[in-house]
Amino acid sequence: MSLAIQQERSPGWMSFIWQAHRGWFMTFAMFAVSLIVWKIHGTETAFPQSWVEAFPFAEKFKEFDRWARPIIQPTTRAIGAGVTWFYEIVVDFLIFTQWQIIFLILVLPAFAYGGLRLGLLAVCALSTWLVLDLWDESMETLGLMTISIVISIIIGVLLGICASQNDRFETILKPILDTMQTMPAFIYLIPAFFLFGLGAPGAILATVIYALPPIVRLTSLGIRQVPAGIDEAATSFGATRLQSLIKVKIPLAMPSIKLGVNQTVMMALGLVVLATFIAAPGLGDTVLSGMQRLNVGKALEGGLAIVLMAIVLDRVFYSIGHVDQTSNNKHDHRFRLFPQALENFKPILYIEYGIDWVWRQIANAGRFVAHSVSKPVCFLVAQFDAAFAVKLRELLLRRSFLIASLVLIAVLMLLHTYFDIFNNFPREWKHRFRTPVNQYMDELVTNKVFYAITTAIKEALYYGLINPLNMFLKGLPWWYTTAIFAGVAWLIGGRALAIGTLFGFLFIGAIDLWSFSMITLSTVTVSVFICFLIGVPLGVLAAYNRTADAIIKPILDTMQTMPVFVYLVPVIMLFGAGQIPAVIATVVYALPPLVRCTALGISELPEQINEVSSSFGATMTQTLMKVKVPMAVPALTLGINQGIMMALAMEVVTPLIGGKGLGQEVFTGMSLAHIGRTLQAGIGIVVLAIILDRISYAWSRSQREALGTN
Amino acid sequence: MRRELNLAVLSAAIGLSLSAVPSVHAANSVTAVDLDWTGAVVTCRTIQYVLENEMDYKVKTVSMPGGAGAWEAVRAGDVDYYCETWPSYNPVKSEYLTEYGGDGSLSIVADTGIVGSSGYYVPRYMVEGDSERGIEATAPDLKSYTDLNKYKDLFKSLESGDRGTVIACPVVAWECEDQKRMDLLEVDFHAQIMGSETAHWAEMQAKYKRGEPFFAYAWAPHWIHAALDMVEIEMPVYDEAKWPATTWAQDVTFKFANPKFMEENPDVVKLLEKHRLTNSQQATMIYEIDVNKRDTDEVVEEWMAANESVWRTWLP
Repeated sequence: MSLAIQQERSPGWMSFIWQAHRGWFMTFAMFAVSLIVWKIHGTETAFPQSWVEAFPFAEKFKEFDRWARPIIQPTTRAIGAGVTWFYEIVVDFLIFTQWQIIFLILVLPAFAYGGLRLGLLAVCALSTWLVLDLWDESMETLGLMTISIVISIIIGVLLGICASQNDRFETILKPILDTMQTMPAFIYLIPAFFLFGLGAPGAILATVIYALPPIVRLTSLGIRQVPAGIDEAATSFGATRLQSLIKVKIPLAMPSIKLGVNQTVMMALGLVVLATFIAAPGLGDTVLSGMQRLNVGKALEGGLAIVLMAIVLDRVFYSIGHVDQTSNNKHDHRFRLFPQALENFKPILYIEYGIDWVWRQIANAGRFVAHSVSKPVCFLVAQFDAAFAVKLRELLLRRSFLIASLVLIAVLMLLHTYFDIFNNFPREWKHRFRTPVNQYMDELVTNKVFYAITTAIKEALYYGLINPLNMFLKGLPWWYTTAIFAGVAWLIGGRALAIGTLFGFLFIGAIDLWSFSMITLSTVTVSVFICFLIGVPLGVLAAYNRTADAIIKPILDTMQTMPVFVYLVPVIMLFGAGQIPAVIATVVYALPPLVRCTALGISELPEQINEVSSSFGATMTQTLMKVKVPMAVPALTLGINQGIMMALAMEVVTPLIGGKGLGQEVFTGMSLAHIGRTLQAGIGIVVLAIILDRISYAWSRSQREALGTN
Repeated sequence: MRRELNLAVLSAAIGLSLSAVPSVHAANSVTAVDLDWTGAVVTCRTIQYVLENEMDYKVKTVSMPGGAGAWEAVRAGDVDYYCETWPSYNPVKSEYLTEYGGDGSLSIVADTGIVGSSGYYVPRYMVEGDSERGIEATAPDLKSYTDLNKYKDLFKSLESGDRGTVIACPVVAWECEDQKRMDLLEVDFHAQIMGSETAHWAEMQAKYKRGEPFFAYAWAPHWIHAALDMVEIEMPVYDEAKWPATTWAQDVTFKFANPKFMEENPDVVKLLEKHRLTNSQQATMIYEIDVNKRDTDEVVEEWMAANESVWRTWLP
């Protein structure tokens, strides 16, 4: 809207163009000036060495670590031992109990909360673990994940509540959370293991750090968003501040908290493979050792098991948060296998009837069991407190499914203990698909046509984008690059952002990471640019075409949950190692948010736009290019912001396939167990991430404001 | 809220039933580490086999990449012993041995019997050709590093420009100094660091399968020599004073352990002291695991069963 008003005010066409395309002109001018500076300056320039020497961060930190570690270690190791004890109880139970019983224990909640479809999905996931012979590994990972998630939720909700109650606490917490979210987990893996112990304890605590921020943020946000009127009403009825918080605000903030739990679950699962670097047991080891031995099939098996775990856990937590509590008739709705549209087709309807009948029988049986359990229990309780017994009975009967499940599991366990009713999972049922996958990989590597294509892509990327940008960024003098970034930050986000950017870049230079950072910057830029080129058309396609959407969506889901380590080896085998495969792997990882945001941005636009636009005689393409895409720019910029963050997160993984830059420093520091060096490279990544995030976020906001939408 | 209560009740019930599970920890338990190269895993598993089958120990294995982190784990007592160390590739070794070995927090136990050697290789088809695959010899006179410049065009890559490419030692922290070596020896090659062993072997294997020329760093014993037929290129012999303008010293690999553990488990220490594997023994198992992609435990058990006379001599 504001754009239109500006246009009305400006008289001449020159200034009209200037107003409409100011951003482009300035970008172009900046680029031209940079090119001139680069031409004059030419060679690679180092950050002033005297500054670097005056600031020996890594060595100082190493000294600090040596001094501090013996002091903290007794406490942290004790915490670690506690966590290990708990972990071992859980995992021993999961592994040493007969698999059929664990199967039931894990599948029943999925049926209870998510209905038939989720239940079947869970059955599918657990069967896959069994068939692929990854049961023990899956149980170890499940144990690690469950404990990490539970600890994260407890700490996160508590911190979130405190932050919602105290503004000063929230201001202190915010930068810490930002750092936690942008700091690559690699950097605190080694310290986590030094402090808390190798394997499970270190892995659990690193996962907690990694998965904590979303739940803290969303809890605090949820509580703060409760309208003030409700709080006032509660207080006016005589509730204390604490009562109002516990009885009114937290229940109202539940949806937001549950969203936080969801995010935490997904984040935690993202760390499964990385944690293997400090000897975390489980599926991560399957993936990593498969990768290390170039056994793509094995890595893929492990990856598939992790993807299934992520999807099921995500959906279970989601449906726990989304059960409609008012509907009494929920079973009729939830136990449906096919989409409603298919019910016109008779056989489908009969299948649904059959399922419904089975479900009713199960429900009846459950009710019967619950009755038989509640009678003696309530009789006993009634001897002490009759009123409570009535309440208890009601409570038990309402949970007939749960009671019946528990009784079933208990009976099966007892039967198995005394009569040995279950067998181990039969060997003949176990099937691995690693051999065909490996054979297929071999064929692909030697396939001449395919190789010609990958080589062409590689060369185009190298000569067209990566090499020029590398030369450009490395060749620009440090003071110039710093000034440009600070200037852009000033224009987009104001003075505070500019000052922050300035200090961030000076800091990176002072800790001797200048040239590493420039390589990182160019890799990230190129990757996000390619993501943009591929992601936007895909997003538009998904927004316009339901079939395309249905195809793209599960692929994106898999791309986001599949551990990157699974596709590193195929990428090297097909593209060779170096900066190009690093860019390709980064694109695969950072593409989903761009596609999603574009699709969302376009499909969220009101229907009327189509009508208005076509009534003015615009074709579909015109409507898309001239109206819809411009209006979706805010969503797009948000997608770019997300893409940048994902690309930076990938920086610490790509060194494994020859990526250079800050990530390589992290790896070198890690291999040398030099905490200072790892940490300083990590801080470099955090600084870059925060600068890029703030600038692109401010840009996204200014775009939204320009469109007058919020 | 009701649903959450359900979950809470369920988990409480699970918690209760947990107490019924019997404890499975054996009295004599040791922790070993599976490092990230197959040779070390094989060495470790042969020791583990004897501990579990002959000495009534329960061995818990953890997997993690080798190097300083794993050394630290032994020092801290998270891991009891470390099966195979290559002295050339632990630049922190001297620091660790003086710091931790010196103050007694790490102790060297014995050699493993494996003597490692490192060097540079080209595929045999480049020198001799391969009539079966229809590959002509592209560099028939390539024998020593002095011949490399003559053939540098064959080894050009995207990132090397006019220079040849050496697929260099993959991990920066190993401090192989490939680029310095090439520069000092006046070989006009660019050292491309692949970032990880995985990438290194994958690149070599992919090039080999396509029949392309490459010049790469490798060490032995390693499965790559069984999978790919390669010729070693002569380099100047090791000389500490001239390093890195020479090849690597022979690596007499050794085992070390946590001193407190050694005090408490003299039996295990005796086994570690007597245990020896030869290069060829290790290489047979590595081949089965990495080239034929068979299960590690299966391969080790098979080998142990077939070579009882060998490991009987290790028994304390």
